[in-house]
Amino acid sequence: MIFVTIGGMRAFDRLVKEMDRIAGELDEQVMMQIGSTNYEPKNCDYFRFMPRDDIEELYASARVVVCHAGTGSILTAAKYNKPLILVPRLQKYGEVFDDHQLEIAKEMENRGIIIVYELSNLKFAIKNANTTSVKVSAGSNLTGRLKEYLDKLERLSKA
Amino acid sequence: MKICLVCSPGGHLTEMERLFPAFEGKEYFFVTHRSEYSQHLEKAHFIEYKIGYIRERITWLKTIFIAFRILFKERPDVVISTGGGEIAIPFCYVGKLLHANIVFIETLARIKTRSGAGKFIYPIADLFLVQWETLLKKYGKKAQYWGNVI
Repeated sequence: MIFVTIGGMRAFDRLVKEMDRIAGELDEQVMMQIGSTNYEPKNCDYFRFMPRDDIEELYASARVVVCHAGTGSILTAAKYNKPLILVPRLQKYGEVFDDHQLEIAKEMENRGIIIVYELSNLKFAIKNANTTSVKVSAGSNLTGRLKEYLDKLERLSKA
Repeated sequence: MKICLVCSPGGHLTEMERLFPAFEGKEYFFVTHRSEYSQHLEKAHFIEYKIGYIRERITWLKTIFIAFRILFKERPDVVISTGGGEIAIPFCYVGKLLHANIVFIETLARIKTRSGAGKFIYPIADLFLVQWETLLKKYGKKAQYWGNVI
Protein backbone atom coordinates (compact mmCIF):
# COMPACT_ATOMS: atom_id res chain seq x y z
CA MET A 1 0.00 0.00 0.00
CA ILE A 2 1.15 3.50 -0.84
CA PHE A 3 0.17 5.98 1.85
CA VAL A 4 -0.02 9.60 0.75
CA THR A 5 -0.32 12.32 3.38
CA ILE A 6 -0.31 16.10 3.14
CA GLY A 7 -0.31 16.69 6.89
CA GLY A 8 -1.81 19.86 8.28
CA MET A 9 -4.72 22.08 7.56
CA ARG A 10 -3.77 23.60 4.22
CA ALA A 11 -4.73 22.14 0.84
CA PHE A 12 -2.19 20.52 -1.48
CA ASP A 13 -4.11 20.12 -4.76
CA ARG A 14 -1.03 19.61 -6.93
CA LEU A 15 0.08 16.43 -5.12
CA VAL A 16 -3.43 15.03 -4.58
CA LYS A 17 -4.38 15.44 -8.28
CA GLU A 18 -1.19 13.93 -9.64
CA MET A 19 -1.26 11.09 -7.13
CA ASP A 20 -4.87 10.31 -8.10
CA ARG A 21 -3.88 10.18 -11.77
CA ILE A 22 -0.97 7.85 -10.96
CA ALA A 23 -3.21 5.66 -8.74
CA GLY A 24 -5.32 4.87 -11.82
CA GLU A 25 -2.23 3.44 -13.53
CA LEU A 26 -0.87 1.40 -10.62
CA ASP A 27 -1.70 -2.11 -9.44
CA GLU A 28 -0.88 -1.19 -5.87
CA GLN A 29 -3.46 0.17 -3.44
CA VAL A 30 -3.22 3.89 -2.71
CA MET A 31 -4.62 5.56 0.41
CA MET A 32 -4.61 9.36 0.58
CA GLN A 33 -5.04 11.84 3.40
CA ILE A 34 -6.14 15.04 1.64
CA GLY A 35 -6.93 17.51 4.45
CA SER A 36 -8.82 20.51 3.11
CA THR A 37 -7.81 19.93 -0.53
CA ASN A 38 -10.79 20.71 -2.81
CA TYR A 39 -10.04 18.05 -5.41
CA GLU A 40 -11.56 14.68 -4.55
CA PRO A 41 -9.65 11.60 -5.76
CA LYS A 42 -11.46 9.20 -8.12
CA ASN A 43 -8.97 6.37 -8.44
CA CYS A 44 -8.11 5.63 -4.83
CA ASP A 45 -9.40 5.66 -1.27
CA TYR A 46 -9.04 8.89 0.63
CA PHE A 47 -10.01 10.69 3.82
CA ARG A 48 -9.51 14.21 5.07
CA PHE A 49 -8.32 13.90 8.66
CA MET A 50 -8.01 11.10 11.19
CA PRO A 51 -6.97 10.88 14.85
CA ARG A 52 -3.26 10.38 15.34
CA ASP A 53 -3.40 6.73 16.40
CA ASP A 54 -5.48 5.75 13.34
CA ILE A 55 -3.22 7.61 10.97
CA GLU A 56 -0.16 5.96 12.49
CA GLU A 57 -1.66 2.56 11.63
CA LEU A 58 -1.61 3.62 7.99
CA TYR A 59 2.05 4.63 8.27
CA ALA A 60 2.78 1.25 9.85
CA SER A 61 1.10 -0.77 7.10
CA ALA A 62 2.42 1.21 4.11
CA ARG A 63 5.14 -0.02 1.76
CA VAL A 64 6.15 3.53 1.03
CA VAL A 65 4.99 6.93 2.31
CA VAL A 66 4.57 9.85 -0.10
CA CYS A 67 4.14 13.13 1.73
CA HIS A 68 4.76 16.85 1.92
CA ALA A 69 8.06 17.87 3.51
CA GLY A 70 6.54 18.54 6.94
CA THR A 71 8.33 17.54 10.13
CA GLY A 72 5.30 15.68 11.53
CA SER A 73 5.10 13.40 8.49
CA ILE A 74 8.87 12.92 8.32
CA LEU A 75 9.20 12.08 12.04
CA THR A 76 6.21 9.71 11.95
CA ALA A 77 7.54 7.87 8.89
CA ALA A 78 10.90 7.62 10.68
CA LYS A 79 9.18 6.14 13.74
CA TYR A 80 7.85 3.27 11.57
CA ASN A 81 11.05 3.02 9.54
CA LYS A 82 9.17 3.61 6.27
CA PRO A 83 10.78 4.47 2.93
CA LEU A 84 9.84 8.03 2.14
CA ILE A 85 9.24 10.17 -0.95
CA LEU A 86 8.94 13.87 -0.19
CA VAL A 87 7.09 16.43 -2.29
CA PRO A 88 7.86 19.88 -0.82
CA ARG A 89 5.00 22.37 -0.71
CA LEU A 90 5.96 25.49 -2.66
CA GLN A 91 5.09 29.10 -1.96
CA LYS A 92 4.69 29.93 -5.65
CA TYR A 93 1.64 27.65 -5.85
CA GLY A 94 0.15 29.02 -2.62
CA GLU A 95 0.70 25.70 -0.85
CA VAL A 96 2.56 27.20 2.08
CA PHE A 97 3.41 30.70 3.36
CA ASP A 98 7.15 30.41 2.58
CA ASP A 99 9.59 27.89 1.12
CA HIS A 100 10.88 26.40 4.37
CA GLN A 101 9.90 22.88 3.24
CA LEU A 102 12.76 23.05 0.74
CA GLU A 103 15.21 23.38 3.66
CA ILE A 104 14.26 20.15 5.39
CA ALA A 105 13.84 18.44 1.99
CA LYS A 106 17.46 19.26 1.11
CA GLU A 107 18.64 17.84 4.43
CA MET A 108 16.62 14.66 3.89
CA GLU A 109 17.98 14.38 0.34
CA ASN A 110 21.48 14.24 1.87
CA ARG A 111 20.25 11.25 3.91
CA GLY A 112 19.15 9.31 0.83
CA ILE A 113 15.46 10.24 0.74
CA ILE A 114 14.00 10.86 -2.73
CA ILE A 115 12.68 14.39 -3.17
CA VAL A 116 10.24 15.06 -6.00
CA TYR A 117 10.52 18.70 -7.05
CA GLU A 118 8.70 18.20 -10.38
CA LEU A 119 5.52 16.16 -10.13
CA SER A 120 6.18 14.67 -13.57
CA ASN A 121 8.86 12.60 -11.78
CA LEU A 122 6.54 11.26 -9.09
CA LYS A 123 5.35 8.11 -10.85
CA PHE A 124 8.89 7.06 -11.71
CA ALA A 125 9.92 7.69 -8.11
CA ILE A 126 7.10 5.52 -6.75
CA LYS A 127 7.65 2.64 -9.17
CA ASN A 128 11.42 2.57 -9.37
CA ALA A 129 12.96 4.80 -6.80
CA ASN A 130 15.43 3.40 -4.42
CA THR A 131 14.42 5.60 -1.57
CA THR A 132 15.03 4.87 2.08
CA SER A 133 13.69 5.54 5.53
CA VAL A 134 14.96 8.31 7.78
CA LYS A 135 17.25 7.06 10.49
CA VAL A 136 16.68 8.84 13.77
CA SER A 137 20.05 9.56 15.29
CA ALA A 138 20.41 8.27 18.82
CA GLY A 139 23.26 10.66 19.58
CA SER A 140 21.14 13.77 19.97
CA ASN A 141 21.13 15.03 23.51
CA LEU A 142 18.44 17.68 23.17
CA THR A 143 15.96 15.90 25.45
CA GLY A 144 18.58 15.12 28.10
CA ARG A 145 19.87 18.68 28.27
CA LEU A 146 16.36 20.11 28.33
CA LYS A 147 15.59 17.85 31.29
CA GLU A 148 18.72 19.08 33.09
CA TYR A 149 17.66 22.67 32.45
CA LEU A 150 14.18 22.03 33.91
CA ASP A 151 15.64 20.14 36.89
CA LYS A 152 17.86 23.14 37.61
CA LEU A 153 14.90 25.54 37.43
CA GLU A 154 13.00 23.29 39.80
CA ARG A 155 15.85 23.29 42.32
CA LEU A 156 16.13 27.09 42.14
CA SER A 157 12.40 27.56 42.63
CA LYS A 158 12.52 25.44 45.77
CA ALA A 159 15.60 27.17 47.16
CA MET B 1 7.05 23.41 39.31
CA LYS B 2 4.39 23.59 36.61
CA ILE B 3 5.11 23.58 32.88
CA CYS B 4 2.92 24.87 30.05
CA LEU B 5 3.60 23.10 26.73
CA VAL B 6 2.21 25.19 23.91
CA CYS B 7 2.26 24.39 20.19
CA SER B 8 0.01 23.95 17.18
CA PRO B 9 -1.00 20.42 16.12
CA GLY B 10 0.89 18.72 13.29
CA GLY B 11 4.67 18.87 13.04
CA HIS B 12 5.14 21.25 15.96
CA LEU B 13 3.26 18.82 18.22
CA THR B 14 5.11 15.77 16.86
CA GLU B 15 8.37 17.54 17.75
CA MET B 16 7.09 18.43 21.23
CA GLU B 17 6.08 14.81 21.83
CA ARG B 18 9.61 13.70 20.94
CA LEU B 19 10.79 15.86 23.85
CA PHE B 20 8.46 14.18 26.35
CA PRO B 21 11.18 12.33 28.29
CA ALA B 22 12.39 15.77 29.43
CA PHE B 23 9.04 16.43 31.15
CA GLU B 24 8.70 13.06 32.86
CA GLY B 25 7.86 13.34 36.55
CA LYS B 26 7.02 17.02 36.23
CA GLU B 27 3.62 18.67 36.32
CA TYR B 28 2.62 19.95 32.91
CA PHE B 29 -0.38 20.87 30.78
CA PHE B 30 -0.84 21.40 27.05
CA VAL B 31 -2.27 24.28 25.09
CA THR B 32 -2.96 23.57 21.42
CA HIS B 33 -5.58 23.95 18.71
CA ARG B 34 -8.52 21.58 18.58
CA SER B 35 -7.80 19.07 15.83
CA GLU B 36 -7.91 15.37 14.94
CA TYR B 37 -4.15 15.50 15.48
CA SER B 38 -4.37 16.79 19.06
CA GLN B 39 -7.50 15.11 20.46
CA HIS B 40 -5.45 12.29 22.04
CA LEU B 41 -3.77 14.71 24.44
CA GLU B 42 -4.66 14.61 28.10
CA LYS B 43 -4.36 17.59 30.42
CA ALA B 44 -4.90 19.97 27.52
CA HIS B 45 -6.62 23.29 26.84
CA PHE B 46 -7.92 23.25 23.26
CA ILE B 47 -8.33 26.46 21.28
CA GLU B 48 -10.70 26.50 18.32
CA TYR B 49 -8.86 27.29 15.09
CA LYS B 50 -10.38 27.82 11.66
CA ILE B 51 -8.38 28.52 8.55
CA GLY B 52 -9.06 31.42 6.22
CA TYR B 53 -7.50 34.91 6.04
CA ILE B 54 -10.03 36.77 8.21
CA ARG B 55 -10.82 33.91 10.59
CA GLU B 56 -7.14 33.25 11.28
CA ARG B 57 -6.58 36.90 12.20
CA ILE B 58 -9.58 36.93 14.51
CA THR B 59 -8.27 33.75 16.14
CA TRP B 60 -4.86 35.34 16.73
CA LEU B 61 -6.49 38.24 18.57
CA LYS B 62 -8.70 35.91 20.57
CA THR B 63 -5.68 33.80 21.46
CA ILE B 64 -4.14 36.75 23.35
CA PHE B 65 -7.18 36.90 25.64
CA ILE B 66 -7.30 33.12 25.94
CA ALA B 67 -3.60 33.15 26.91
CA PHE B 68 -4.33 35.58 29.76
CA ARG B 69 -7.25 33.48 30.94
CA ILE B 70 -5.41 30.14 30.87
CA LEU B 71 -2.08 31.37 32.23
CA PHE B 72 -3.71 33.39 35.05
CA LYS B 73 -5.56 30.26 36.10
CA GLU B 74 -2.71 27.77 35.69
CA ARG B 75 0.20 30.00 36.73
CA PRO B 76 2.96 27.91 35.10
CA ASP B 77 6.58 28.47 36.13
CA VAL B 78 7.80 27.60 32.64
CA VAL B 79 6.27 28.04 29.19
CA ILE B 80 7.81 25.77 26.55
CA SER B 81 6.94 26.12 22.87
CA THR B 82 8.00 24.55 19.58
CA GLY B 83 5.80 26.97 17.53
CA GLY B 84 3.85 27.81 15.39
CA GLY B 85 3.69 31.51 15.86
CA GLU B 86 -0.08 31.90 15.96
CA ILE B 87 -0.21 30.17 19.34
CA ALA B 88 3.42 30.38 20.55
CA ILE B 89 3.77 34.17 20.33
CA PRO B 90 0.75 35.12 22.50
CA PHE B 91 1.45 32.45 25.11
CA CYS B 92 5.17 33.27 25.40
CA TYR B 93 4.53 37.03 25.72
CA VAL B 94 1.70 36.64 28.23
CA GLY B 95 3.79 34.03 30.08
CA LYS B 96 6.67 36.52 30.25
CA LEU B 97 4.36 39.18 31.72
CA LEU B 98 3.40 36.67 34.40
CA HIS B 99 7.10 36.00 35.16
CA ALA B 100 7.25 32.50 33.69
CA ASN B 101 10.54 31.19 32.33
CA ILE B 102 10.21 31.15 28.53
CA VAL B 103 11.73 28.26 26.56
CA PHE B 104 11.48 28.31 22.78
CA ILE B 105 12.66 25.47 20.57
CA GLU B 106 12.85 26.42 16.90
CA THR B 107 11.23 23.82 14.65
CA LEU B 108 13.28 21.14 12.92
CA ALA B 109 11.91 22.57 9.69
CA ARG B 110 14.10 25.68 10.00
CA ILE B 111 17.65 25.08 8.86
CA LYS B 112 18.70 28.29 7.13
CA THR B 113 15.89 30.74 7.80
CA ARG B 114 14.23 31.96 11.00
CA SER B 115 10.56 31.23 11.65
CA GLY B 116 8.10 34.01 12.43
CA ALA B 117 7.68 32.64 15.95
CA GLY B 118 11.46 32.49 16.44
CA LYS B 119 11.95 36.12 15.39
CA PHE B 120 9.24 37.34 17.76
CA ILE B 121 10.11 35.20 20.76
CA TYR B 122 13.93 35.44 20.62
CA PRO B 123 14.08 38.78 22.50
CA ILE B 124 12.06 37.52 25.47
CA ALA B 125 13.22 33.90 25.64
CA ASP B 126 15.12 32.70 28.70
CA LEU B 127 16.29 29.67 26.76
CA PHE B 128 16.32 29.72 22.97
CA LEU B 129 17.26 26.55 21.11
CA VAL B 130 17.69 25.85 17.41
CA GLN B 131 17.78 22.33 15.98
CA TRP B 132 20.45 22.97 13.34
CA GLU B 133 23.83 24.58 13.98
CA THR B 134 23.55 26.50 10.69
CA LEU B 135 20.79 28.57 12.23
CA LEU B 136 22.83 29.85 15.19
CA LYS B 137 24.37 32.72 13.24
CA LYS B 138 20.95 33.83 11.96
CA TYR B 139 19.88 34.56 15.52
CA GLY B 140 22.29 35.93 18.10
CA LYS B 141 24.39 35.02 21.09
CA LYS B 142 21.42 33.81 23.08
CA ALA B 143 20.60 30.99 20.62
CA GLN B 144 22.00 27.58 21.48
CA TYR B 145 22.22 24.25 19.70
CA TRP B 146 21.68 21.19 21.93
CA GLY B 147 20.90 18.68 19.19
CA ASN B 148 17.61 17.91 17.46
CA VAL B 149 14.67 15.49 17.48
CA ILE B 150 15.66 13.54 14.36
